[in-house]
Amino acid sequence: MSIAYLRLETLRQMKNARTLIFSLAVPVVMLFAFGGSFGSSGAVEPKSGLPWIVLTTIQMAAYAAMIAALSQSFSIVNERELGWNRQLRITPLSGTGYLISKAATALILGALGIVILMVISQLAFHPDLSVGGWLAAGLAIWCGIVPFALIGVIIGQFAKPDWAQPIFMATFMGLSLLGGLWVPLQIFPDWVSNVAKAVPSYWLNRLGQMGAKLDGDWLTPALVLLGWTVVLGAFIIWRYRRDAARS
Amino acid sequence: MNTNPVNETRLRTAPPVAARSGSTRASAVSGSTAEAASEVPALRLSGLTRRFGSLTAVDGVDLSIRQGEVVALLGPNGAGKSTTIDLALGLSTPTSGTAELFGGDPRDAITGGRVGAMLQGGALLPTLTVAQSVALVASVHKHPLSVAEALERARCTEIAKQKVAKLSGGQKQRARFAVAVVSNPDLLFLDEPTAAMDVEARRIFWQSMRDFTSAGRTVVFATHYLDEADEYADRIVMLSGGRVVADGTPREVKAVVSGRRIRVTFGRDWDAALAASIDALPGVRSVDARGNQALIVTDDSDATLRGLLAEHEDAHDVEVTSQSMDDAFLALTAGGAGTAAAPTEGARK
Repeated sequence: MSIAYLRLETLRQMKNARTLIFSLAVPVVMLFAFGGSFGSSGAVEPKSGLPWIVLTTIQMAAYAAMIAALSQSFSIVNERELGWNRQLRITPLSGTGYLISKAATALILGALGIVILMVISQLAFHPDLSVGGWLAAGLAIWCGIVPFALIGVIIGQFAKPDWAQPIFMATFMGLSLLGGLWVPLQIFPDWVSNVAKAVPSYWLNRLGQMGAKLDGDWLTPALVLLGWTVVLGAFIIWRYRRDAARS
Repeated sequence: MNTNPVNETRLRTAPPVAARSGSTRASAVSGSTAEAASEVPALRLSGLTRRFGSLTAVDGVDLSIRQGEVVALLGPNGAGKSTTIDLALGLSTPTSGTAELFGGDPRDAITGGRVGAMLQGGALLPTLTVAQSVALVASVHKHPLSVAEALERARCTEIAKQKVAKLSGGQKQRARFAVAVVSNPDLLFLDEPTAAMDVEARRIFWQSMRDFTSAGRTVVFATHYLDEADEYADRIVMLSGGRVVADGTPREVKAVVSGRRIRVTFGRDWDAALAASIDALPGVRSVDARGNQALIVTDDSDATLRGLLAEHEDAHDVEVTSQSMDDAFLALTAGGAGTAAAPTEGARK
């Protein structure tokens, strides 16, 4: 694994990331729809103690980052289909190196999504949050998408080209729903909200809010995310090594 | 021969004569080849077998390739050439048997940048230019050639700035060759490198391959063209049905593959006397008879025919065809590896 490769590979993928603009359009539009309707007044949501517009921005930034990270699956499927993976396997690039290059790009794309959403929100709505609050919220969400970057890599490794889109959608929606990103978990039986706490998407929002408030219990989400990262990472490396020569 | 320091150290740790392949060949090693024999083989396959379900793609292949040899893996489609190369590179796990490159795990040889390959189903990214592709792969190697040099060696300098997607079939293969040589490998695998190339592209490709091998490097290429194997290899290993059916110099293998077939019908049924008389005809290599018909494989069809017609007035419906490589493969497979030509020790062009 060399820094030179990582640099060339991420730069290459960034150039290919023009399609990301379209994926980001959805959260941006939603930011304006929700933020515009009840956010610009500066009202504060009582439970979290944060302004509504900050909550909405965090939610949409998390959404954008999640899409960006998961969308890495498409470029991997594409490269596998082409035979580029096969070419890479006769180079010193290790399974770990491959994982790092793919996950790193997913994380950079995710960071880009977070920054774009937050900058747009700041420019359009001037929410009442310090720079430190934004930075901490962004960083927290960014840490939260590590498992998604890895899930993107796994979908990329497994999915046949025709299946990448449906699997992407199912994963994305399933994790969003189970993580309580769309529907409040309170409407489900208690056990569902307990299960949700083991799902990385549950923490995406919460982490953003903790970051924005600059306080909260970090230990549980850190352990959950670390657990996911280790398990998914180990699985990816195993899979890369075992992948039959001609898939 | 390659004399870089890495090889020197590897040489010293090598078991002396054990480096040679199959037991039948070890006895043939003479004093004059002792030097070559003490070297670690670039590639060594032992009892290599790979099954996919009920299909045995590679069936107990034993093969040792010395450093500096240029070897063609010749065989029809489905002979197991590509699977053998995948196994040799450690891209696929053998059902049984082992594959070694430079006396160790294939992955170690790859990590050390000693191996380059153009594989079936491998491809470059269409959105990159040729130079960018080479640079990207160079960046994972520890001691790569400069991008310019790799491009030069593969005759890709003029197409360096073109996008891979816009290249012709032959240009694409050259670009892949550039990517394969950027690590400055000691061993190069080429799996049907000239498929989809026109004659001119083929010529240019083999020119750059020649430059590569003249520096004493090892090349293993798969092909189903006898001509290509004959012209560019020092040694031809014929594969059929996943087995090595012949292994020798191009001259030896060509002798096995070439020849004519004479189909003839007699006025009486086949018997021992007739068999003896046909066997005694000039040029006859083998005879296969059924009822009153015989199929004679001959090295000199003219002489065989003259004798046949002179001695057997009842011979009729004579048909002479040239033996195709597929026929030869079939004959060799049916006859087992016993008919294989023995390799000439130390054969180098």
